Amino acid sequence: MTNCLLCQSSLRNTTSFDEIMSLAPTQARQLCEECAAKFFRLDSVATCDQCGRRLKAEMSNPCYDCERWQQQISFDFQNRALYEYNSAMKDYMKRYKFLGDYQLRFIFAKEVKKAVTRQKRLLVPIPVNAGTMATRGFNQVTGLLKGCSLVEALKTSQTVKDKRQSEKDRADRLRLIQPFELVEPQIERISGKNVTIIDDVYTTGTTIRHAASLLYQAGAASVIGITLAR
Amino acid sequence: MINHISDLYGRQISSAELPAAILELPEVKRRPAIQLKPSLMCSRCGSRLKRSQANLPNGQYYCYVCIQMKRMDTLHDLAFIDEPNQFNKVSNALSWEGQLTPLQAECAEQVVRIFKKRQHHLLWAVTGAGKTEMLFKGIEWAVRYGKRICIASPRVDVCIELFPRIQAAFAKTSIVLLHGKSDQPYKYSQITICTTHQLLRFYHAFDVLIIDEVDVFPFSGNPMLHFGVNNAIKTAGAMLYLTATPDKHLLTQVRKGHLSISYLPIRYHGHLLPEPTVIKIKGLSQGIDNNRLDKRILKMIRQLMSQQQRFLLFVPHIKDLATVATAIKDAGIIAKYDTVFAADPERLEKVGAMRHHELDFIITTTILERGVTFPGIDVLVLKADDDIFSAAALIQIAGRVGRSSDRPTGRVLFYAETRAANIRSCQRQIRKMNRKAAEI
Repeated sequence: MTNCLLCQSSLRNTTSFDEIMSLAPTQARQLCEECAAKFFRLDSVATCDQCGRRLKAEMSNPCYDCERWQQQISFDFQNRALYEYNSAMKDYMKRYKFLGDYQLRFIFAKEVKKAVTRQKRLLVPIPVNAGTMATRGFNQVTGLLKGCSLVEALKTSQTVKDKRQSEKDRADRLRLIQPFELVEPQIERISGKNVTIIDDVYTTGTTIRHAASLLYQAGAASVIGITLAR
Repeated sequence: MINHISDLYGRQISSAELPAAILELPEVKRRPAIQLKPSLMCSRCGSRLKRSQANLPNGQYYCYVCIQMKRMDTLHDLAFIDEPNQFNKVSNALSWEGQLTPLQAECAEQVVRIFKKRQHHLLWAVTGAGKTEMLFKGIEWAVRYGKRICIASPRVDVCIELFPRIQAAFAKTSIVLLHGKSDQPYKYSQITICTTHQLLRFYHAFDVLIIDEVDVFPFSGNPMLHFGVNNAIKTAGAMLYLTATPDKHLLTQVRKGHLSISYLPIRYHGHLLPEPTVIKIKGLSQGIDNNRLDKRILKMIRQLMSQQQRFLLFVPHIKDLATVATAIKDAGIIAKYDTVFAADPERLEKVGAMRHHELDFIITTTILERGVTFPGIDVLVLKADDDIFSAAALIQIAGRVGRSSDRPTGRVLFYAETRAANIRSCQRQIRKMNRKAAEI
């Protein structure tokens, strides 16, 4: 008997009618229906082509943030997100990243893998810094990429990390200087390739664009982003 | 984050939460947060861990069971400092001026003896016996000798109700209240009042550990919390369990001689426990599912309303709350009432409204079965034969009635389709207690 990874309720007898009727093998479920329903998938709604956010009625495409980005940067970059960063996702991130409940990676690992391997591209995860690795013990992004072959072409710079990313406000984040460096031996693998950068959350888009600009410097033919949440 | 060395006295905290300045102090000891052998086990909560779930990259492990209280992992140690008992020895710490009945006084003396002899003891006292007051003498003794004391309960409501009473009785003693929803910071104190979950943060801290309502969820049948209790108490500490309805586990401990036991079968006001009346109604359950209540139930509610008699109406399931409320409304009964359940966001407000006489009655799940007192109340239980109501739950529910000396009696009405085993067991136990009380 398994339990919902978020609320611990038992997952017995939760196979839906549709699942029984469809002949596909039942997938091992990680969440109860109630918890699963709290997450909002972005694949069936209108989203911004550039950052992947859900477009509300009055918003243009690309959204106003992305219009500003187009004026600021000189390379092509598009991001796609699987889920909206709503309160359920916020809570999930709190438990997965900040409490460090590594097994929660199983909730989205399959979907993320499916999304990133749909096209044949080189997969580069956003790295975490050494301090986080020492206390948290895992990179939350690679945790979601079980079974994918990754090129860890980026590492964090040696600069002192004064605040956690999540503790910064928008202005702080936009001011952020290049936080990454290329990993020397991996550079030649990037050259001429189509690259997908993977991150957990797209908030302002600064982090992932810093990563993209480095990969373009290393000679990538194209760079896109896929994030779990936007 | 831990900032003062005293925050570590008798506690166990992950080294991840400690600044280097404290970690480097010579009195700080460390032990592994996760034991790898003989099998993977969390040192804080005692859970056996599955490797496939507990693994981190690079051969590291973490505990996914008690993670809500900050993570235990192989990347960090559990840091602790031996309990130094840095308390002033104060005689006459008790500022309570109430009077105990002769029977309560006898029990209170017994509690002192248990603490002195560092026994592990079960005090089986009926609902409304006045358990808290019987602890005062024992706590006073412990304070006089500089002991560290903890009163823990599985129910946060019990802790919150207990805190001001203990504070009033021991005005000069340092007391801290800890529970998951509290924003009061931890402070090294002589008396700790906390939920049983909070005990996981303590290590060989308490000379005296009292556990109130020990038989209730989530403590009962939860090996993690039992492990926490055994870690929180000093190796030669005194342990006192309190309940009106001991479970099998406790009674087995008694039978094996691990626990001594004493009974207090009579309430502080000397009156017997009200015995439940069972009213059998055919098709009760089906009726409720269809928003209907039997006319005998409606008649009783009307009678209670006309007598201005306030009451609690217990139902087994959350889904019954709405249907019963609708049935009462449809029957044309005009009254002020509300429904409440454990996860109700307005739970505290609604219980408060009942307490302040703003409601005539409240329809509730078992959440109000214990730890709450509404003086002069009656209780009605719908579908008392439902599995949700254990015999212990029914005894506790019946125990809400007749608690004040102004109205030491009252109605306890069980509506059921059959006189099921839980009802019979409840009736048997109440009669047994009353027989014992009559012998005194």
